[in-house]
Amino acid sequence: MNRFVLLAGGAAVYMLAAWMVAPGFYDGFTPQQPYNWVCPPVHISGNLPPSSGHLVIKVINGVSDANSAFTDDGQVVIGFLPGAFDVTGKTSITVDIKPVSPCPKPSGLTFAVNTYLISADAPLVKKANLVMRYSDIVPAPSKVYRATSADGPWASIVALNEAQPFTIDTTTDQFGYFAAGYPSNADSPGGSSSQVLPIVIAALIILVLIAGIPLAMMRRRQAPDEGEADGAEP
Amino acid sequence: MISVLAGRPAVRVAVIAAYVLLVEWARALVSTAPYVATAALILGGVALVVSGAGWPLERLGIGKSRLGFRILGGCALAVVLLMPAAARANAAPILPAFLALPAVVVSIGEEIAFRGALYAALEDLGGAPVAIIGSTALWTAAHALSHPPEFLFAVAAAGLLLALWRWACKDLVGPIIGHVLADLAL
Repeated sequence: MNRFVLLAGGAAVYMLAAWMVAPGFYDGFTPQQPYNWVCPPVHISGNLPPSSGHLVIKVINGVSDANSAFTDDGQVVIGFLPGAFDVTGKTSITVDIKPVSPCPKPSGLTFAVNTYLISADAPLVKKANLVMRYSDIVPAPSKVYRATSADGPWASIVALNEAQPFTIDTTTDQFGYFAAGYPSNADSPGGSSSQVLPIVIAALIILVLIAGIPLAMMRRRQAPDEGEADGAEP
Repeated sequence: MISVLAGRPAVRVAVIAAYVLLVEWARALVSTAPYVATAALILGGVALVVSGAGWPLERLGIGKSRLGFRILGGCALAVVLLMPAAARANAAPILPAFLALPAVVVSIGEEIAFRGALYAALEDLGGAPVAIIGSTALWTAAHALSHPPEFLFAVAAAGLLLALWRWACKDLVGPIIGHVLADLAL
């Protein structure tokens, strides 16, 4: 009996410890750093504003250098190959990444990340590699969208295989407004919704109760027959 | 080598603990590299399963007796592990589908390593209290690189709960099922 009292105590300690940090149980698969939202989902608390990024790329012997621009919070990274820019008349290229506020809400699309304006003072002549990080508490995006204005129209760009979990990658040959999301009428490929969790818990509780009662009754009936044969077990 | 380990429980604990910590820390570090997260998680999970090699299944807490009780116990453990997240479901992370298999492999590997092989080795060394406290401490240390510091108390509490189940019910099937369900749900 003491064993089960200790076990119950362990469960109580876990509940208390897990309640102190949201979401509670966490096994390290999701990002450690929370996503910084321009327009946080309603259930998010303690949101920090997203960062901007700025990069000056050197032009060496008439060729722009290889480099990557990124926001200070690492939510957007855009990488450029050597000679990625048309450097006519330039000694350096300036690239800026800025989160867009207010948040564009195009009809028919659901954005799972902030919208970012990525601009440079020279056009691209080679594709740049764009990586956008997304939050682990919203459904994952399936596409990257680009527009020349925050009001749209938004065109989807083919997303590449993600290099790391919770990032979506693509290439672009133009600057502009970028966001990642999915068509509003489509299911996100990101897995089950967090709304399913309470249902899963309820189903498990019902399963334990429904299957546990006959199991306990069966064990109670078997106990007198078995005597001490099962004594090592609780 | 095996006979030396079998005859010296302290050495056996040290070897298993060093191996398991090395695997867990390496997995945490390698999985941050581009394009290798899934492979690193699966290989790390399999490497943890290897730590149970050489142990009789019953010493690891694995068996078919009382299977219904063990499975239901695993479901009950999953309920306890997930309850704090379920109560705040809107803030619960969503596990991407491609991480489901790695989550299952890692969960099974961690249970066999910590509540299986390490628990059994520590029990041989100093009995159940050493096994419970030692496996919980090593489990917490193993997660130091993959978890933010503020989560480590909850990690330790989860390890303690699973180790107490392992002790109270002499069972590892329940912790495996509970851990797998909890990882898949989040």
